This record gives sequence, C-alpha cells and structure tokens, in this order.
Amino acid sequence: MLVALLLLGCLNPYLYAQSAGLGIGNKPPEIKLPTTKGDTLALSSLKGKLVLIDFWATWCSPCVEEQAELAKLYRKYKQSVFTIGKGFEIYGVSLDAKKSNWEDFIVANKINWIQVSDLKFWRSPVAKTYNIQELPFNILIDGNGIILAKNIHGIDLEKGIARYLHKQ
Amino acid sequence: MKTKVLIFLFFTIAASVFASYVFSSQGQNDPWTPQQLLAPADLAKVLNNPKTPQPIVFCIGMDAVIKGSINVGPAMKAENLNTLKQQLNKLAKNSQIVVYCGCCPFSRCPNIRPAMKLLQDMQFTNYKLLDLPQNVKVDWIDKGYPMSE
Repeated sequence: MLVALLLLGCLNPYLYAQSAGLGIGNKPPEIKLPTTKGDTLALSSLKGKLVLIDFWATWCSPCVEEQAELAKLYRKYKQSVFTIGKGFEIYGVSLDAKKSNWEDFIVANKINWIQVSDLKFWRSPVAKTYNIQELPFNILIDGNGIILAKNIHGIDLEKGIARYLHKQ
Repeated sequence: MKTKVLIFLFFTIAASVFASYVFSSQGQNDPWTPQQLLAPADLAKVLNNPKTPQPIVFCIGMDAVIKGSINVGPAMKAENLNTLKQQLNKLAKNSQIVVYCGCCPFSRCPNIRPAMKLLQDMQFTNYKLLDLPQNVKVDWIDKGYPMSE
C-alpha cells in the first residue's frame, strides 16, 4: 500500500506544483529587472494575474512580428477575469543590447505593457536561468505564479489564455 | 481510377522536386562556402592559446561577446558595414579574419550576409564565418568558450 502511494505520488505532477523549476506546474525563477525608466520591476509583483512572460528582442524578426499579436491579446484580455487570476499582464523581457533600440521600438509601436531588460543580449543571466535556446520564447503563469504553458504562439497562445476565462 | 493515381503521383513527385530545389537554392545563394565556416571549438582553442597566430575577429552583430573581438555593430546597417570596410581597408588581403553575429539561426540572421559579401567583394583570401548555427548563447556562451569582459 505504501509503495503504491509512493508510486502514485511520483506520477502525480500536482504534488510538484509550486516547486521551483521550468516545467509545467513549477514556479519559475524570480525576475527583477529595470524598466526603460530604470526602476526595477519584479515578476512576483504581478501575483494574482494571468501573466505572459515574453522573451524577445528588437533584433529578432519573429519576435518583432509577434508584438502586434501580443498587443491584440493585451487589449482583449487585460481586464478579463480568469479562473486562475484576475486580469492579464505581459511581462516583456528584452534581450536587446542597446537601450535606444529597445526604447525606440517600444515608443514607435506604442507598447503599453511591462517591459524590462538588463541590456545584456545573450549574456543576460535571465537567458541562462530560463535556459532560453532561441527567441521568441514565452511562459504563461497563473495568479499564483505557477507555469501553465511554455513557448506557445499564434492561435495556441490565444487558446491558452482563453481557456482560463471565468465563465459567467 | 488508374489515371487518378497517376495524376496524384505526378503532382507528389513534382512537389517534392520543387521543394528540394527551393531548399537547396537557399544555401546556394549564401556568400560563403562550407569550407569558410569555422567551428567554435577551433576558434576557442586558438583564443585560449596566445602562442598561436591570432585571427582578427569582428563582431558584426549586437554585442562583441567573444574575447578580443572588435565590435563594428550590426552589418545590416549601412553605417556599420562602412565601419567594417574602413577596418578592413587597413588589413592585408591575406589577413586571417573571422566574423560572427550569433543573434539568431543563420537562416534569419540579417548581418552575416552583408559582411561576408563585403569580404568577398574586397577580395580577401583568408576569412571565415564563425559557425554559430543557432546563436552565440547556445553555440559559444553555454559551451564556456572565452568571452570578453
């Protein structure tokens, strides 16, 4: 009986929920990076919301193309109530190296969600911590900061958000 | 029925021939040969041994991550390509030169082609493109090769 319970425990991902890591059901590492204004904004400060952590850069063409799609999703779901959080936020982490490139793009494209960067390109410690192999890369986390999905784009991204909408 | 099968087979073969042509022609247009690709491990070995002749390494991308490399900025921009040209003008045509970007996979990189084309047009004889097929993080930083401060 004890062995059976232990085996069941090993197979049950929910028992791992909130343990640190990058898998679905894990709590991802904290990110604390400067915004364009220079003040530090922590990922953990968004607790309670459904959050998309978007790793991108202005030099990454698919990332740039995706920003218009993110703008649509942000407009559509920003105020929504979800079963796992209230409101939708995007925490954009740029791997740019030059502040002017990053800032100019944000202004030109009227990006109105959170943007942070240490401007260290691929040397950014965040790229290492999150084991990023290629851009774009994203992680969807719930109101408790638990990973719901990884690297979903296009229609899958919208579906990944919409599936948690609170039904009236 | 037999005709339908033949038509289906014809279009399948035609599609695959077309796809293979498109796929191979992408590589053929690149301004470098397979022999001009330098393995990161080989460059790291040279950089780690100052007694061996050192190449002149130009970063033609976002950030000069590699130890001792000269940052000229993204070669997709005319002013940076011009900076590279000015630097190259000071060198002998048989200088040992390595260029790298490493922002993204080769297929998407906007910088490597203008830089390699410039070296070709300027008739350098001993230049290489650092083979970073994915990016400089995966193919250089993560491998612990020498980095700039």
